[in-house]
Amino acid sequence: MKTITIDPITRLEGHGKISIFLNDKGDVENAYLQIPELRGFERFSQGRRAEDMPQITSRICGVCPVAHHFAATKALDAAFNVNPPSAAKKLRELMYMGYFIYDHTLHFYYLGGPDFVVGPDAPPEKRNVLGVIEKVGVEIGKEVIKHRAYGQKITAILGGKATHPVCGLPGGVSKGLNKDEVKEIDKMVKSCIEFAKFSLKLFDDIVLKNKNYVNLILSDPYQLATYNMGLVDKNNKVNFYDGKIRVTDQKGNEHVKFDVKDYYKNIVEHVEEWTYIKFPYLKAVGWKGFKDGKDSGIYRVGPLGRLNAAEGMATSLADKEYKRFYETLGGKAVNSTLAFHWARLIELLYATERAQELIKDPEITSQKIRNPVGEPGEGMGVTEAARGTLIHHYKLDKNGLIDKANLIVATTNNAGAINMSIRDAAKGVIKKGNVNNATLNMVEMAFRAYDPCFACATHTLPGGMPLQVNIYDHNKKLYKTLKQNI
Amino acid sequence: MKTIVLGVGNQILGDDGVGVHVANELKKHINYSNVTIDEAITGGMNLLDLILGYDKAIIIDAVKTENEENGDVKRIPLSDFSTMHSCNLHDVSLIEAIDMAKKMGENRIPKDIVIIGIMMKQMPCEFGEKLSKKIATAVPKAVKMAIDEIRKDINISS
Repeated sequence: MKTITIDPITRLEGHGKISIFLNDKGDVENAYLQIPELRGFERFSQGRRAEDMPQITSRICGVCPVAHHFAATKALDAAFNVNPPSAAKKLRELMYMGYFIYDHTLHFYYLGGPDFVVGPDAPPEKRNVLGVIEKVGVEIGKEVIKHRAYGQKITAILGGKATHPVCGLPGGVSKGLNKDEVKEIDKMVKSCIEFAKFSLKLFDDIVLKNKNYVNLILSDPYQLATYNMGLVDKNNKVNFYDGKIRVTDQKGNEHVKFDVKDYYKNIVEHVEEWTYIKFPYLKAVGWKGFKDGKDSGIYRVGPLGRLNAAEGMATSLADKEYKRFYETLGGKAVNSTLAFHWARLIELLYATERAQELIKDPEITSQKIRNPVGEPGEGMGVTEAARGTLIHHYKLDKNGLIDKANLIVATTNNAGAINMSIRDAAKGVIKKGNVNNATLNMVEMAFRAYDPCFACATHTLPGGMPLQVNIYDHNKKLYKTLKQNI
Repeated sequence: MKTIVLGVGNQILGDDGVGVHVANELKKHINYSNVTIDEAITGGMNLLDLILGYDKAIIIDAVKTENEENGDVKRIPLSDFSTMHSCNLHDVSLIEAIDMAKKMGENRIPKDIVIIGIMMKQMPCEFGEKLSKKIATAVPKAVKMAIDEIRKDINISS
């Protein structure tokens, strides 16, 4: 057996390693993604003051500070048995839209987009944001930078700090909005809506009007028919901040809908010996290994998971795009991993429209932004991080200190599916041991679509956009090394 | 000449937070009106935002290494990196962010960007606020290097 190791993965930060196992014929037998899982969170949080958790957990990961901040805050609402005033909920949700605006923009233009905009088989040194700018022009590049910054600014105005918000408190938020701030946000949001529309048009022009790309999206190696999961409002429309967790099957029919407090009745975690990452699956369906289909409890979260798990978007323009998405890609559920990119842009549009609804809401300047808390107990909170469903669960002692803490993060929810996507893409493109940079990129694309974040900061020397492929013979002896930009 | 010193890292991730520890220590030794000392748990685009408008940026961060020993401290010109991403996952690297900004005509990028790297063979994956012994001994070394770096270029009149 030969082993191909892709290490580290370019353009996705944090340290990940893909190992591909070939059989005697040089075809792919199996593939694994190994990522370092941060450990010891429960012990770390034990005995800390519960109200510190929104700040502490927002530091777990530099990518999703806002998602952790509010999953924690909502878990504390529940643990202190308090329902925040409606103005506070709206302020939280508005801030959440700012986070989606910058995060989804960053992924499309900088991380996942280059594969499409520049092309999947373009040389690696062109497949980055600079390649995108070269293709679409400097003026658009400026728009990208501007609107990503707007998203951050909105978050900073509401959260007190751009990267690590300090506004979420059990029972509400610490700070409201004044009229000047409303004006400023309103102006930015208006511009963001136009930018989101433009981004969808760009996707249309470059990807959807190119038959080869559409075929690539619909091609076999990128299909994965798992269950889908996401938060929905009372009309089963996508919601990022609140609602019930809805799971749909491979045809888009509802499998189960539950409140976050019942998550452990619906989700179980499977352990594999080769990785610290746990693989959550649907309890009612069961673990059947790394398989898709109705009998396997593996599900997907994130933009595609959310769209599949819902029945539409709650804003008009995004809902139109939602319908077009399913018309173009052959109805529900869309199981193509590469459709994550389009789904992400539809969500970007929704985030901007929803932000406009919220900023125009007269209640947004209300000063009634906090309710008094009750006695400490146990609580769960859920939000949709940009990359998928995020659950925090705390048990407090009678003094309000953390006794137990458990988190299920988005990339963990997707872990099983990501593994399968890598395996299937590898099977599709690696034949008879033929591996080159273009085929490797096709494998990486399967994985990049999820926008996974690996919670570990690696800063590697020496640099050079290293993509190293180690091929081992059946004795696991290194017999060939491919390097990219090393 | 305006200088910014940024300690980069995650303080709840053990040794990863060493840059922040160094910055906090540095504050006790440096007090010049034209030198700003701050901390950041971010990378790429956000890191670039923080250093724009300064003449010089000194970034203190944990650096993963194969060849050096745990706790070695090295001054590294930015050009030696291209996969650096200082903590913020899924972001672009600082180099990429700078290249892009240049292309957009950004003229506030510091002329001089220096990394003071605290070498470690393994990045920590376990939550904790304390530094390991080896990495803790690197703190005074990095502080001294940062002070030398600040004094080297700046004509200080304090």
